[in-house]
Amino acid sequence: MKAIAVNGALARALDFRNYGVNFFAGALLALLTILVGAPVLMVMLMSLRTGFPGEGGPLTLTNFVQAYTDPGTYEILLNTILFATGTVTVTLLFAVPLVWLLMRTDMPLKGTVYVLMTVGILIPVFLRTIAWILLLSPRIGLVNQWARQIFGMEQPLVSLYNIPGMAFIQGVSFVPAAFFMLAAAYRTMDPALEEAAYTSGVSKLQTFLRINIPITLPAIAGVMVYLFMTAIAVFEVPAIVGLPARILVLSSLVYTSTNPPTGLPNYGLAGAYGGIMLAAGLILAYFYVRLVRQGKKYTVITGRGYRPREIALGKWKWSALAFAMLYLSMEVFIPFLVLVWTSLLPHLRLPSMEALSSVTLKNYVTIMDYAGTRPFINTAVLMFGVPSVTMLVSVLVSWVVIRTHVSFRGILDTMAFLPHALPSILLAVGLAYLGLAYRNVFPVYGTIFIIVIAHTINWIAYGTRTTNSVMIQVHRELEEAGKVSGASTPRVLGRIVLPLVAAGVFNSWIWVSMLSYREVTMALTLYSRKNVVISTVVWQFWGNGWVPEVAALGVILIAFALIVVGALKLGFSRLGEYGSGS
Amino acid sequence: MIRIRGLKKWFKTRHGQVEALRGIDLEVGEREFFVLLGPSGCGKTTTLRCVAGLERADQGEIEVGGTTVSSPEKGIYVPTEKRDIGMVFQSYAIWPHMNVFQNVAFPLIKGRRQIPRHQVAEKVSQALKLVQLGGLEDRPATDLSGGQQQRVAMARAVVTEPTILLMDEPLSNLDARLREQMRLELRKITRSIGVTTLYVTHDQAEALSLGDRVCVMNEGEILQIGSPQEVYSRPQNLFVAQFVGEMNFIRGRLSGDGQVESPFGKVRCALPQGCQRGSEVTLAIRPEHLTLQPRAAAGAACVEAKVLTKNYLGDAALLEVDACGVNLRVKLAGDAAFAVGEKAVLVLPPDRWSVYA
Repeated sequence: MKAIAVNGALARALDFRNYGVNFFAGALLALLTILVGAPVLMVMLMSLRTGFPGEGGPLTLTNFVQAYTDPGTYEILLNTILFATGTVTVTLLFAVPLVWLLMRTDMPLKGTVYVLMTVGILIPVFLRTIAWILLLSPRIGLVNQWARQIFGMEQPLVSLYNIPGMAFIQGVSFVPAAFFMLAAAYRTMDPALEEAAYTSGVSKLQTFLRINIPITLPAIAGVMVYLFMTAIAVFEVPAIVGLPARILVLSSLVYTSTNPPTGLPNYGLAGAYGGIMLAAGLILAYFYVRLVRQGKKYTVITGRGYRPREIALGKWKWSALAFAMLYLSMEVFIPFLVLVWTSLLPHLRLPSMEALSSVTLKNYVTIMDYAGTRPFINTAVLMFGVPSVTMLVSVLVSWVVIRTHVSFRGILDTMAFLPHALPSILLAVGLAYLGLAYRNVFPVYGTIFIIVIAHTINWIAYGTRTTNSVMIQVHRELEEAGKVSGASTPRVLGRIVLPLVAAGVFNSWIWVSMLSYREVTMALTLYSRKNVVISTVVWQFWGNGWVPEVAALGVILIAFALIVVGALKLGFSRLGEYGSGS
Repeated sequence: MIRIRGLKKWFKTRHGQVEALRGIDLEVGEREFFVLLGPSGCGKTTTLRCVAGLERADQGEIEVGGTTVSSPEKGIYVPTEKRDIGMVFQSYAIWPHMNVFQNVAFPLIKGRRQIPRHQVAEKVSQALKLVQLGGLEDRPATDLSGGQQQRVAMARAVVTEPTILLMDEPLSNLDARLREQMRLELRKITRSIGVTTLYVTHDQAEALSLGDRVCVMNEGEILQIGSPQEVYSRPQNLFVAQFVGEMNFIRGRLSGDGQVESPFGKVRCALPQGCQRGSEVTLAIRPEHLTLQPRAAAGAACVEAKVLTKNYLGDAALLEVDACGVNLRVKLAGDAAFAVGEKAVLVLPPDRWSVYA
């Protein structure tokens, strides 16, 4: 008897398939741990060292002492909190009413508004920021030029160079993300909860206040925490608006420590500042996960297909549309028009007959002379490399997490989610340090591949979230039915699973590609002459003060993104009907 | 009391307009329990939601307790929250962020019929006692079982003592045993508070056991209104015969003298109006009205039959028999001793036939 039992255990241990799956999952976990752990470890390491990367030396707390005894640091912390709070406020002020209007009312042109929100995501934040500066800068801004011309004002009418200004641009840019997160939460809410209040004789306003808001509160709180976490980490607005105005926040502080305008980079100090960012990110991510879990407890899925009646807005219909259009003009129309206008003139000026007569396409032609072909080639590498690697890793991770019974699949999933909590600027600084200090083992510093690695780590969290949901939608029994019919595992994967997940995976492939294409923070932190991409070129042009060229390249950047996404969405809209996760 | 006249409703879909209600006329009397029965998509829920004001009708009048609450022709539309109703939803719609007490008290505190604060607790505990949930006031809503949620929903719907109570398939999410128990209790509760009730279901057993009157609907139209006995024993048309209970259908042809030619020979029965001699008709008879005997008895219409299948249910046995080339279902007592393949005599009671054009 005993011999048989031992034999059984042995057979199980040696069972090739089981062993293979465990080994495979273990290898994936190791890969993710290295990818996510290495930059974090580097940030910690550099905070404990002084001097240049790779100089070695004893570990020391000097950097922390220097960083946290400086009263300036606390002013910057306060700035960061004010900026993040302001950003979240602006975002929710637009996102919450928009979700309600688009999901529950009969506001006209809902479909168009929905599409334009997506378009908003494709306009890079730094381009929107630049456009708003062109409009509202105290010196060159069109609005202030106009105010001077018409009213003869000495003082500028408005200025963007302050914390509210920064929060405004960043907040507007966050709205689409917040909108789509909240809309997803709203969709799972049982409309009967609302109707039960009406049949109890409760007014629409009271129902909104006492039922809708409290039930969606965990979701709203989750979105708030997520936005706050992201607002602490963002770099583009703090750099483009904040740096010239000498308003520093944590992310721009980390950046200026490693890329100072004058003097030598101080990675140690950057690490010490980064520590607090990292801690804040992890704590907020923990709260976020908890809130999402609590929110799930509230969602009741009825399984009944009826759609709740849309609330008739009556005479308020057009005010609602005006509100949506006001938002869309801040997010899409005004920035794009300003960029187009600027790109067509030799220098920035107010629209007039005279200005119209000097319209030229010269700026579009000269771009190539200034930029050369390298940024375009590098950007193409990013656009294909990053989504391919990211989605490959994501699909494999999701398959282990959703489909297998590997004991540590939960850890694998958490590890894949962690980059969400890791500010991208720290990720890039950590990788830069790694590349500089360990040049001989990690010889990618200054090449496009270090950006590919940085982007891949950053979007693995997004990639795995979408592949998880796509995998869950493919019912396990579909796979099992294939096996029962006598098909081998590879054939089941190839003929059943792959076709069913393909559309969803392809959808996020496109998104990761577009996000990588417009990303600037990491590309800039890891910048060298060889790995320059289009977004960093725009940034350099802006630094040089070549305003019309910035606008022209920006228009090309946006137009190209719109064409690619539009064409793919049209071409694959039928494919997306089944299996698409988003 | 509810009165509905000429109610019409269109839905816009991707494929154009669909007529969901094609002119509904019905009256529910004071304290009556009125059931809307029909397959999914027949318009029963839409009718109920129009009465609640959750859908807006396109045409026709709805009166609740003597006041017109909806009449597009006259430009009248009373919003849901101003109608004197209580409603129980299929998903129960218990607010997850409140406890049991808060759920039931909400209509009294924030609703149309607000009462002084100090009376709220008493009213709520009365309502909870009525549904046998006394003492669970502080339980969070998310910790309730399906049956308990159902009871809370019921308490919340009646706590304001509304003129009418609307119920949208309230039992369909419960398991079979609990459903039967709740069915009996629902009847008791609505009787004891004497509320006029409009109840929607697709379950014919539920409809027959609960309703004072049952209204069978299909494709946006009312097919028959009557007491459960009337609907079951005298279905007015083929659809009702098919939908309510089990039924055997046999093709036949009208021969002149009030008789129908069928595979079993001539059958004498009451004929529908306006039938032409020689026209095709359908004969219908319920399985429990057919019986099997070992041999022919005098005085009854009999045909030879062979047992094809037997489905033993404990208290009853459902047999499929072949008689004169027609397959018929026969419901016998559970202890009936006919085996598959056995030959027997099928008794056809002449007074149990229905005929449909």
